[in-house]
Amino acid sequence: MLEIKNLKKNFSDKKVLKGISLKVEKGEIIGIIGPSGCGKSTFLRCINLLEKPTSGHIIFEGDDLIDNDNLEVIRRKIGMVFQQFNLFENMTVLDNIILAPVLLKVMTKEEATVEAKRLLKEIDLLDKASFYPNELSGGQKQRVAIIRTLIMKPEIILFDEPTSALDPEMIGEVTQLMRKIANDGMTMLIVSHEMNFIKNFCNRVIFMAEGVIHADGSSSDIFDNPKDEHLINFLSKIKNV
Amino acid sequence: MKKKIFILLLLILMVSGCGKKKEELVLVTEAGFAPYEYYENGEIVGVDIDICKRIAKELGMELKIKDVAFDSIINEVKTKKSDIGAAGISHTDERAREVDFTNNYMESKQVLVVKKDSYLKSPSMLSDEKIAVQLGTVADTYLTEKVPTVKIVREKKFLAAIQDLIDDKVSGVVMDEVPAKELITSDMVILEEPLVIDYYGMVVRKGNKKLLSIANKVIDEMKENGSIDEALLEHMGVKENVSKKNSLIDKFYYSVIYDGRYKYIIEGIINTIIIAIGAVILGVLFGGIASIIRNINGNTGKLKILNLLAKWYVTVIRGTPVILQLMIIYYVIFKSAQVNIVLVGILSFGINSGAYVAEIIRAGIQSVDKGQIEAGYALGLPYRYVMSKIVIPEALKNILPALGNEFITLVKETSVGAYIGIIELTKASDIIASRTYDYFFPLILVALIYLLITLVLTKVFNTMEERLNHARD
Ligand SMILES: Nc1ncnc2c1ncn2[C@@H]1O[C@H](COP(=O)(O)OP(=O)(O)O)[C@@H](O)[C@H]1O
Ligand SMILES: [Mg+2]
Repeated sequence: MLEIKNLKKNFSDKKVLKGISLKVEKGEIIGIIGPSGCGKSTFLRCINLLEKPTSGHIIFEGDDLIDNDNLEVIRRKIGMVFQQFNLFENMTVLDNIILAPVLLKVMTKEEATVEAKRLLKEIDLLDKASFYPNELSGGQKQRVAIIRTLIMKPEIILFDEPTSALDPEMIGEVTQLMRKIANDGMTMLIVSHEMNFIKNFCNRVIFMAEGVIHADGSSSDIFDNPKDEHLINFLSKIKNV
Repeated sequence: MKKKIFILLLLILMVSGCGKKKEELVLVTEAGFAPYEYYENGEIVGVDIDICKRIAKELGMELKIKDVAFDSIINEVKTKKSDIGAAGISHTDERAREVDFTNNYMESKQVLVVKKDSYLKSPSMLSDEKIAVQLGTVADTYLTEKVPTVKIVREKKFLAAIQDLIDDKVSGVVMDEVPAKELITSDMVILEEPLVIDYYGMVVRKGNKKLLSIANKVIDEMKENGSIDEALLEHMGVKENVSKKNSLIDKFYYSVIYDGRYKYIIEGIINTIIIAIGAVILGVLFGGIASIIRNINGNTGKLKILNLLAKWYVTVIRGTPVILQLMIIYYVIFKSAQVNIVLVGILSFGINSGAYVAEIIRAGIQSVDKGQIEAGYALGLPYRYVMSKIVIPEALKNILPALGNEFITLVKETSVGAYIGIIELTKASDIIASRTYDYFFPLILVALIYLLITLVLTKVFNTMEERLNHARD
């Protein structure tokens, strides 16, 4: 469903992504790991064109996203969840969730409200519908952010370190929600430093270093049977911590 | 859009300017120079006015009087905004190059005013003394050219020059003998020997032969039959000796109640507020348009030329003093057009304010968290929704308080409007001071009024801000 071909990204002179190619099939749960600053976030942000790639192609369900006049319509199908939640601070939880579907006329306001309340109920946050983001805990914020993406019925969701900004006791509630969404058949790309979560949750793991993909395989290929030197190095460092 | 609004404004200004009736003779003066021109009972009167009334009568016209800063008078006449200028203007070659002078109607002696106990006994003793004069008067030019060793303190008003002498900031004042007699306090003397004698004439636009010849005829007649001397006597001795009535109640009475002087203050308050409100509305409009252009260009690369214009607008306006912008708009852009000065004030301060508002909006937009904007785009929202639903509501929280400050700044800035003759609060205090010869009280009074206005505004804005924040909780 998603194919990335020889993606390169420079920030002025700095080469951050040096030619990344990746094919994602429907229903895959792909974890992306790698040292800090190796370009994981940049990679995710290039997929929905929050960053404009320097060269390469991003083909989503047959359409190339580069210089695509329909970018905004395609973006609805690519959800994104950020490390810092990025909820709209001046809107209530409910308004955060229904803003895009109503503005983009995907649903009427009434339909969107019903759907948002149903989703909020599933995550036990219905009583917070009229709260503002600054009145929620980190875990609650991230779950609302996930629902805000979910209501658009995306084909794929990109997660950029969804639990890194959370206190440890709140990580569970977010990963639990992610598991539930995965069970419903969602395709996911997840950047995370939670190695245990990646190992148990993802059916495919990609290891990135210095702007290229060094290893790509099943969870056990990567964690139990690593071959790439950079990967072995990376994993040993993590274990030492 | 911007162009349309501009043209509309221009039209309004033009139309409002067309109110000038054909049979009006417009006299321009600075009415703080008794006995030649001064305020009494809310009206400008004096020797010059008496003469000009006769000229208007001779022409079968009605006299209309404009009160501007002395250094704007020649410009007013040159740009056809006024027909004749009379303000005890000395005939100099320099001025005669710009405008035509009528025959002289008054001989003016520039004299030295000193304290009674001063060691200065003759103008010839001036060497490196500090001497106060009114900016741009004959005394100023004379001292600058002929006695270059003197340290000249140039004040905008005679009254301020005399105040300098009272406060011993200078050792003397050089000025015209007639107003000097009006102005001096009991511990001052006028030295008999004049520094220079010069002659007052009125000024008309070069080539305005008809007006010149009628004015000359009237002046010659009035000199001949002694009516100018009569007028002089009539207008002298009008000084109210406030300094003798020192109680605060007396000062208040003479500054506010007597002769209906509160009317100047009320007019001043009204004009100050009208200009500030009009200017802030225009400012938000211009500033808003400029920042929309800049933002669209920054995000999409469109509107290159408009963006350049907007950038220059902000740079030029912020890089030059508001008083120059006001004078340029009035004397250069509206050259030879009869325009309503309050509207010119609103337009000038509005254009000025727009540049600052543009910066306020830019800073407000920049302060919006990038993450929320990206979340908007990631959901598939187009630029216009990201701006209108996410960026602007967030930015407003920073913009509104700053706009409140801008409005308060504007209220105070309108004081330079007096340059083109607007009676705003500061000018009102000037007018009153020029009658009571007491600067202190009207200045303090007007300062208190400014303070009151800004305090009330601050309170209003704070309440609005609280409401805004409450609405979110
Ligand atoms: N907007 C930007 N401008 C310049 N450099 C950037 C920008 N965004 C990221 N980078 C640089 O690109 C590199 C990769 O960043 P990032 O993708 O955030 O890494 P990761 O998510 O793997 O930690 C880093 O060296 C970072 O400094
Ligand atoms: Mg990152």
